[in-house]
Formats: sequence, structure tokens, C-alpha cells
Amino acid sequence: MSVGPVIARRAPVAGIADPLLDSVRLNPVRAIAVAIVIVSLLLLVLRPLGYIAYNSLHDDLSGSWTLANYGRILSSTTLLRPILNSLVLGLAIAATSVFFGVPMAWLVARTNMPAREWVKALTLTAFVTPTFIGALAWIMIAAPNSGWVNLIWRNLTGASWPVLDIYSMGGAIFVGAIYAVPFAFTIVAAALDEMAVELEDAATTLSSGTLRTMLRITLPLAAPAIYASFILSFIQGVTLFGVPAFLLTPVRISVVTTKLAEFYQAFPPEVFLAAAYCVPLLGLTAILFYVRKRLLGRKQFVVISGKARGSRRIDIGRWRWPALAISLFVPLVAVILPYATLIAISLSKAWGLGLRPDNLTLDWYAYALFRNSQTRTAIVNSLVYAGGSATLCILLGAITAYIVERRLFRGAAWLGGLASAPIVIPGIVLSVGFFAAYTQPPLRLYGTAAILIAAFTATFLPIAYAHAGTLLKGISRDLERAARAVGAGEARTFVSITFPLMRVGLLSGWLLVFIPVTRELSVAIFLVTPSTNVMATLIYNFQDGGNYEAVCALSVVLLIVTFMVVLGTRYVSTRLSSPRAQSLLQGSAT
Amino acid sequence: MLWSEAKDTDMVKITRRSVLQGTAAASLSTGAGMFSRPVAAQEDELYQAAKKEGRLTRYDGIFEQKTIEAIIEAFKAKYSGIDVQLLRQPSQTLYTRLRLEIQNGVAECDTLGTTNILHFVELKKINELAAYVPKDLDKAPAAFRDIDPDHTFHTAALSVTCINYSPQKAPKPPTSWTELVEGTWAGKISVGSPAVSGDVASWVVAMRHKYGDKFLKDLAAQKPKIGGSSVDTVTDILAGERSVGAGAPFSYSLAQKAAGQPIDVSMPTDDAILNLGVTAVLAKAPHPNASRLFANFLQSVECSQILAKAFWPTLRSDVPWAEGRTLETVKWYRNPVDGLAAEVAEGVAKWKEILG
Repeated sequence: MSVGPVIARRAPVAGIADPLLDSVRLNPVRAIAVAIVIVSLLLLVLRPLGYIAYNSLHDDLSGSWTLANYGRILSSTTLLRPILNSLVLGLAIAATSVFFGVPMAWLVARTNMPAREWVKALTLTAFVTPTFIGALAWIMIAAPNSGWVNLIWRNLTGASWPVLDIYSMGGAIFVGAIYAVPFAFTIVAAALDEMAVELEDAATTLSSGTLRTMLRITLPLAAPAIYASFILSFIQGVTLFGVPAFLLTPVRISVVTTKLAEFYQAFPPEVFLAAAYCVPLLGLTAILFYVRKRLLGRKQFVVISGKARGSRRIDIGRWRWPALAISLFVPLVAVILPYATLIAISLSKAWGLGLRPDNLTLDWYAYALFRNSQTRTAIVNSLVYAGGSATLCILLGAITAYIVERRLFRGAAWLGGLASAPIVIPGIVLSVGFFAAYTQPPLRLYGTAAILIAAFTATFLPIAYAHAGTLLKGISRDLERAARAVGAGEARTFVSITFPLMRVGLLSGWLLVFIPVTRELSVAIFLVTPSTNVMATLIYNFQDGGNYEAVCALSVVLLIVTFMVVLGTRYVSTRLSSPRAQSLLQGSAT
Repeated sequence: MLWSEAKDTDMVKITRRSVLQGTAAASLSTGAGMFSRPVAAQEDELYQAAKKEGRLTRYDGIFEQKTIEAIIEAFKAKYSGIDVQLLRQPSQTLYTRLRLEIQNGVAECDTLGTTNILHFVELKKINELAAYVPKDLDKAPAAFRDIDPDHTFHTAALSVTCINYSPQKAPKPPTSWTELVEGTWAGKISVGSPAVSGDVASWVVAMRHKYGDKFLKDLAAQKPKIGGSSVDTVTDILAGERSVGAGAPFSYSLAQKAAGQPIDVSMPTDDAILNLGVTAVLAKAPHPNASRLFANFLQSVECSQILAKAFWPTLRSDVPWAEGRTLETVKWYRNPVDGLAAEVAEGVAKWKEILG
């Protein structure tokens, strides 16, 4: 007897209202909420993107209307090839990230593998690292002539060739993927955390083995999360700048983001051509979203059904330790090795001399923390902007996802499209879009914290929206119907039933935005001013000047500070999942 | 005061007012020490006016973070009461940002410093620069004193590009550009990119002047590692990834050597390439007096002493470079400015064609 996933097919008929949920069409609260969401999306997304589109149709030198930018792109192989390279990089990173992230998520969320909390913590640490720092650390580790892995290899085997060459497409995919795995891990783990065990129990009762249950029940139920993380990892791969700039440019491989940097650094600057160059990426991502929609269709993935559930973990017996070894691979290569390298350099007086007793100092930390007021300002700014934009993203994302998932009005799906649109615009282009949109009266925000928070919010809103959508897909409408049946209004239902059920998942969603904002560089480049400087741009300045000791010290400081925030949210998350809270919800402690 | 006014008659009329406004009584500041000196009692109206403004914003792409920070700290120590907000980003990024600001009617930047003189030629064309003659300009090296006859922009740094190398791995480094590209350095060379770095662009233009495209073809045959900024050569040598750097930063390499890093410079017998760091006060600067005071400071003894400590050439004939080098003893070549824009564009295009 085969045990298939319990996926109900429900095809709502267009135009016919759900009797309970849509009974009051002209609900004022709903109207206000929808209005707020629409206005926010207009300001955060449509206006800057509008400027980008407008700019793409103008000539850089004369300012007149033209289609020549697009013509130039489509007719030049030197401009088309980077698009292809970006596509390859993005898809490969997405596939690798899911390949590592999904099993890790299953092992941590559903099994009794030991040291699960350590794996989580280390994976989050990977998340906190700016990818260009990871790339720099990996150059030290795996550069063909000087990387220490290759030095050890040559010493051991006497070979003249390197075992690893980080300056390659493979190297870029590797580094991009290990820093995208945390996306896949967090999203899929959050989905699996909420999953009811009864379905798995049912499968086991019918004598399905552990692996089979995982493949036929658990993973299909987590499909929305898996697709979401594939798409997000793809986007991450396509919008990476530091990794291809450091690892691919030396071997003459261009991608869209490095080409864009060339346009912006050209003399005279080719800002409008850069705007046009993003459009092919938009097309690619639209295709991905369409594929996702076709694959997920109208299926239900309800896992929260209102009944209390156990939080039994699957016993994987003698596979526990091998599983741990596999799960520690990503933390090892994304965190332990790179940070060992960074710390070693940050403690060196002169990093070219290597790690020697006479070359050790804490001076760079003293410089970064005490003798450099820019660092202190930048740390505070980074945390404030990240916190502000994460909060805005989660609120806006959750409400938008609710409006779209619950189809509150016809065409609500367009809101979802709008919320997702910025995702594939490379940060540097979005930066210029915001510059153009919010530098002139009446909305003159240039030089303020507001423009940065707005830009970061727009950049990461797609992630918050996708995450909230995934959470909502897993919550049964029965619960809401039950509330409405006993007379609760729509707003009350959302606040008392839906939102609390999403709460713990939204907290990990908050981190999903907070952490990338602290490490985001491209969006900030044209929008920061001295008083609104952030850590990522400060670190990049030092790197640009070759001062690697300062770069490493600042990166370690950034890591520690961000990590403290992460620990803080985990404390909050544990409180939210207290036994008392659990009697109302079914979330287990994350 | 009188001394400065006498000099004033030699200068362009348009700047007379600014000079009168700007000259400090501190002609006694020549040969002063490095420590912060309290400004003399009969000090400048300029300083007082600047103090009222209270701050200035500097966009700088010329110096590395630590050097520009040192300059700013010294400025603040000398002229207390004036805060300096620094935006340090690569030169090309700063220029793009400034153009965006200008296009959108934003006046945020007071004074700009980049390593590309073409930025300033363009800004002057659209009337965005203020004419001002800094105090003690006569002390600047003659060849770089009047880079703009209308004094809307001035020399802020002499950025010398040479060869650098690892003393352990390349004990006999190349001594000329031709030796570098024709010698046995295959797989050992690191170089920046003219598409990214103003200094490397100026070096490529100079090499094409001297040797034509053959130079680029020979360089390509050596299979160099191509980075972005000229600073990447230092990184590659310190990491041990490559042993020789082309189009390398003279000042930064020497500063790293002084810090104990295993690196040294080789001055090419067929000329080191000299590119100027250029500075200007913006016409719409929100803090015009503070900006002019800063322009004075860049030309001052204190600033040149900081530059010398960081192994940058100084901007004054009365402040020596580090280690006894001088402008006269270093063989250097600078690209003529006429037609430079087209030559840079052509150089970048040829580079991409030949080196990928």
C-alpha cells in the first residue's frame, strides 16, 4: 500500500465568496489595511522601480528618450554573456544551497540528531557574514599559489598543482552556496517545525521507513518552503557582487553585477544603461515565479489544523553521528575556517608576515573600537537600520501575504507581485532608484536614516513576503472560519488567531531580513552619508585601501554584535514558545 | 599679511578677493612641528567664518582610510570647532554619486578629492567648482602648481605608479616596464584594471604612449592576475599569490614595507607614472569658508608632513619626502591632459580586447 502525501486539491470557483470569510465585503478595517499596504508598496517599490524603468529609456549623455540602451544590450555578446553567467551562477548556487540546506533542516527540526542547537547557531553565524568577507577569507584558504590548503597539499604530496582553485566558477558557486544555505535552512526548518507529526506517524504505522516517510510525506509538505528557498538562493546568487568581483573577475568571467559596477564607474557614468541592464534579470525571475506557481498550484499544504500535536522527534539511531558530521560541513566551511582566517589576520601587526608570536597584536581592535569614531557610529546605524527595516518588512510582508493568500479582493495577487518585484534588482541599481525617487521635494530623504531604512525594506520585502506566505499556506482556514463563526471580526481574527500562529515563524523571518541588512553593501553605496554610514561600507572602504587587518577586525566586531542580536531574538522566541503559549498554539521551541 | 598681498598681484584677478579673505597670519607656520598649534591670535577671518559654519563634508577617493583620517584629525586639531564629515569611497563611485546629487539638486558635498583629473574638467565645464587659491600654493612643486589656470581645482596628491615585488620570491625584480613584460615573469605578475582604477588607467595610457599596443600584448602573454584597484597588487604580493606587481602604488607599498610587510618597490628606469590626486571646493558648497580653510590645510606644512609619514610625496618644496627621495631624483612621466578622456576610453577598450 502506498502512502502518499495528504494534499487536498481545492479549486475555488472564481467570483463565489467563501461563505464565512468573505461575507462582509465592505469591511472598513480590511479596506484600511489594504489601503495602507497599497500605499506602502507604491512608495517603497513602485516609485523607485518606476524611476529605474524611466531611466533605462534615456540616454546617459544627452538625457533624451531612447531605446538604444536595450538595443546595445541585446546586440552585444560582451553584454549578453554576463547575463548567461549570472544565470548559471544563480541556478547552481540555488541547487547547491537546497541540496545542503534541506537535509540539514530536516535533521535539526525533526530528528534526534545531537548538538542541534550548535548546528543552528553556527549556520546562523554563516548568515551573519557579508559574502564578500567570506570570499576574502576563502581566497586566503584556497588561492592556487598561496592558499594554505594548497600549501599543505603541496607539502604533503609534492604536487606542483593546487588541489583547490578558488578563482573559478566552481569556487564562486561554492562560496555563494555556503552563504545561501542559511536561507534554505531557516525557511525549511521553520516550516518543518510547525509540521504535525500525525501524518508521519500515520506513515510509520503503515510500515513506511524513516527515509521513505521523509521523502513521501515530510518533504512534499514542505514543498512551498523548499521552492521559496530555491528561488531566494537563486536571487542571492544573481545579485551577489563581492563574490564574483573577487573570485571571477581575475579569471575574466563577468556577471551582471560586476558589469553594472563597470557602468557606474565608467567615465562618464553609464547610469541609465545600468538601469536597462537589470531588465533581463527581471524576466528570468518572473519565469521562476511562474514555474513555482505552476508547481505549487492550488494545493493545500496545511499543517496547522487546530489540533494539539506532539513534538516527537524521529529517532535516527546509528545515523545520528554521521548526520551530525554532514550537518557540520556547511558551518565548517562557512564559519569555522573563514573566521579562523579572519581572526588570525586581525591579530597580526602585518598580515603578510603570517601568524608568528612576534606579529601578534590587539591594536587593530583598539583602532576599530576606540580610536575610530566612525566604527561606533556605523555599528549603531547598522543595527538601527536593520532592526527598523526588518520590523517594517515583517509587518508589511505579513499583511500583504494575508491579503494575497486569503484573496481579499480580486487582483490581490498583483500586490504579491509588487511586493516581490524588487527581489531581482541588483542592490546598486535599487540604490540609484531610491536616490532618484527620494532626493527631490516633496519627498527629500537623501542623507537621512529614512532613505536607507526604506531602501533596505524594499530590498528585503520580497523575502519577508515569501516567508510569510509560506507560513500562511501552512495554516488552515478552518481556524479562521471557526473564529468568524463565533462572531469575531476579520481584524480580531487576524490579530487573535492568524498572527499568533505565525508569530514564531515571523520571528525567524525577522532574522531573515535583519541579518542580510547588516551585511548589505550594494544598496548602501550611493545612499550612505558620513553620519549614516554602515558597517558594510566601512569594511569595504578598508578593503579598498588594502588594509586587511582592519577589515578582519571590523568583520569580527560586526559578527559579535550581530550575533548578540540573534541570541536576543532566540531568547524572545523561547519565551513565545513557553508551555503556556504552547497550550494555545502548537509551535515547538525553535 | 603684506607678503601675501604682494604675491597676490601676480595671481589671477578673479581670486584676489578669496586670497585676501583667506590668508592666515600664519605665514609664520613655515617649518612648524607636527603637533597641534593653537591658531595665532591675529588668525584669519577665514577661520572665524569657518568656525561659524561649524563643519564641512569631504568626499575623498585619493587616500586610503588611515591617511585621510590622519589629515582630518590634524585639521581638527589645528582649527578647533570645525567638524569634518568624511565620505571615503573609490574615486569613480564618488564622482557618480556627485553627478547624481547635482542632477537632483542636492548640495551635500563641500570639497571633493579624486584621482581622476577628468572629473574636475567636467565639473568645471558645468560650473560646479569654485575658484580659490589656497595659501602657500607657491610652495607647491612648480610642475603641479597651476594645473588649472582658473584655479578651480588643485593638486592634492602625487600618486606614483611603479613596480612592486616580494623580496623573498623575486630577489631580482624587473627594473623597467619592458623588462617586466618581456622577461621571465609568466604567471607571476599581478595588476589592477584601468576600468576600475584611475591610477591604473593613467598607467595604461602612459604605456601605450611609450610602447603602443605591443606592451599590452606582451603583458597578456605573461598571464597576469587582474584585479581592480592598484592596491590589489600589494594584496597579492603579501598573500604570496603573485611575486611582482605592475602599475603598483608606490606610496602604499612603501607604507606596508615600513610596517614590516614583506614587500618592496622597484622604480622603473623607463619612468614611474605620475597621476595627480586633485581637489576642489564645490561652487554650491554649504560650508564655503570651512571648505576653503580645508583647501589651505591640504597645502600646509602639517599636511605635507603627514603625507611624508605615509610615504606619499609632499606638496611642498620645503617638506621632504620620506627616505630622501625627491621629485627630481625619481624618474617620472605624466600624461598630458589634452585628449586624455579619449585616450583613457581607448586604453580601457584595448585592455579589454587584449587582456579580456
